[in-house]
Amino acid sequence: MKKILIANRGEIAVRVIRACRDMGIDTVAIYSECDRAALHVRLADEAWPVGPSAPRESYLRIDTIIDVAKKSGADGVHPGYGFLAENHDFAAACRGAGLVFIGPSPEAITLMGSKTAARQAAIKAGVPVVPGTEEPLNEQTSDAEVLAVAERIGYPLMLKAVAGGGGKGMRMVAMAAELPAALRAARSEALSAFGDGAVYLERRILAPRHIEVQLLGDHYGTVLPFVERECSIQRRHQKVVEESPSLSVSPELRRRMTSAAAAVARTVGYTNAGTIEFLLDADGSFYFLEMNTRLQVEHPVTEMVTGVDLVQWQIRIARGERLDLIPESLLVPRAHAIECRIYAEDPDNGFLPSPGRIQGLRVPQGPGVRDDSGAYEGGEVPIFYDPMISKLITWGETRDHAIARMKRALAEYQVRGIRTTIPFFQWLLEDEDFKAARFDTTFIDRKMGTPGSGPLQAIAAAHEELAVIAAAVHMFARSPATVAASSAPVSRWQQAGREEALR
Amino acid sequence: MRFEIAAGNNIHTVTIARKGAVLHVAIGDRTVIVDARRVGEMAWSLLVAPEGSAEPVQGVDAALAAHRTAGDFDVHLAGRTIPVQVRLAGGFGRQKKAGAAAGTGPQRITAPMPGKIARVLVTAGDEVKARQGLVVVEAMKMENELRAARDGRVREVSVVEGQSVDAGAILLVVE
Repeated sequence: MKKILIANRGEIAVRVIRACRDMGIDTVAIYSECDRAALHVRLADEAWPVGPSAPRESYLRIDTIIDVAKKSGADGVHPGYGFLAENHDFAAACRGAGLVFIGPSPEAITLMGSKTAARQAAIKAGVPVVPGTEEPLNEQTSDAEVLAVAERIGYPLMLKAVAGGGGKGMRMVAMAAELPAALRAARSEALSAFGDGAVYLERRILAPRHIEVQLLGDHYGTVLPFVERECSIQRRHQKVVEESPSLSVSPELRRRMTSAAAAVARTVGYTNAGTIEFLLDADGSFYFLEMNTRLQVEHPVTEMVTGVDLVQWQIRIARGERLDLIPESLLVPRAHAIECRIYAEDPDNGFLPSPGRIQGLRVPQGPGVRDDSGAYEGGEVPIFYDPMISKLITWGETRDHAIARMKRALAEYQVRGIRTTIPFFQWLLEDEDFKAARFDTTFIDRKMGTPGSGPLQAIAAAHEELAVIAAAVHMFARSPATVAASSAPVSRWQQAGREEALR
Repeated sequence: MRFEIAAGNNIHTVTIARKGAVLHVAIGDRTVIVDARRVGEMAWSLLVAPEGSAEPVQGVDAALAAHRTAGDFDVHLAGRTIPVQVRLAGGFGRQKKAGAAAGTGPQRITAPMPGKIARVLVTAGDEVKARQGLVVVEAMKMENELRAARDGRVREVSVVEGQSVDAGAILLVVE
């Protein structure tokens, strides 16, 4: 493989470009109209336009992307995550065009992409699943039939889209009376998000942890699991903080969970990178939840505690190399890593999206800090795409050490001109229960209470006064009188002041 | 020079003057000595004299981001983002009067962020109740429904579905 097209944008496209560069492989970026000056375009060897800004007309256009791949002479395609990463038609189109799709086979994507088929695969592998329906409840299934199935499973239960992901098409149902309305809402949401209104039912495990196992599989039958990731910190069913290892997983439990994950993948002949998600109950029993047939946002925490470059291995596996990592080394975490997803959202204003121009950017540095970002000073965060602009990862000798470094890194991180979720993480990292790792998937929703109840963090009076002083100094420096009166030979002050006075 | 600077729930009167190599910043009843060096177009390295001292030694790395309204900034310092509004002395008095007059008039529903109009839920002439949804703005895969603050009648709808809007754009007017 000499040249790889990255069918994505933003920080994940940058991540893949970096892995390619490490391997001496040329990169082809694609961009929509509003992304002409995006970081992934600036960093790639080539960049080709694929259409207007709306994802449907650009990053989701399989025909255009395949056409660009062929014209550019790329021999491989990396889908990143989101967009076409779990689209079996895209994987099949790549294969049809003689391009290597850097991911699992279209058949594996189809099979594991169906939540009900994936559950059957887990059962076949002898892995426990959350009690629920084995067959999808399509749009023709009557409410009465669904109610009868729900009665057998027992309340409370979760209603989920068969084609779902990211919390879309998902509803909690506490009792039978709530079911018809929840069913309508979940079906319509699933239909508009995934083009498939089929749903299924699962018993709701109260206050579980979300634990997942990263896997790599090669084309010679080897499947290797990695030490688990702890992803229980979720907002509206979306992960926001991930870490590895999990404090709630003992070495013995780790052995059982990772073996179970590998067994599911082997049952379906899975290749390349994938992740098995489990719910871990308070009593230590765990249940297969679903499989993600792609690289995941939180892959860096696994990389930090194992030293393995997962994206590089995706490429090596795709070009036919054998997975010759030492299995035991992947299951013993080297210390601790934690990741915060930095979103362009205003946590003090109901997490309202905050797109716009980044006027200034100071990226944290120093020991144990990694910033996987798609942002730069002067760059635009467009309105059309996912609001994640960066993933901030810290590594420490212990969990406490990793958290201390994360706090330091968040304090150094300045994203000026737009609002970000940095203050949210600063708030979270001070929480006693978080610090003690006492949490489950309902943690954030319980802690945050009612939305819009004021800022997450009160600003100390001393900081407020310093901000007032800083603003006064800045305005004083730019006033025409000050600039004219200043006889200082420092031309930068004068020049900047004059420029500003002219605005 | 004299400013009024709003931060949090307070409006501070601030007088600032250059005295040799340092700045004297009078805030409330105390004067703070500040050694200021510009380190970027909107970034400052400040050394500030602590309370009761004339030695500017306390390090404050501050950077600003300008809002759309002139004089409104986010100040980034000590890992915090602090919104401030700077006006020349007397500026807030005038602005308040203007604001009070607008408060009794029609409600102008504006876009809280740049985005796309996903749905318009009312048409001109409709009677609407307080909290009723009027228009849905979409950005970054998230939909935000804007509601009426109080009962009224839709006087004017300035946008159509699918249209892109800037932050602060007037979407519709309820009277």
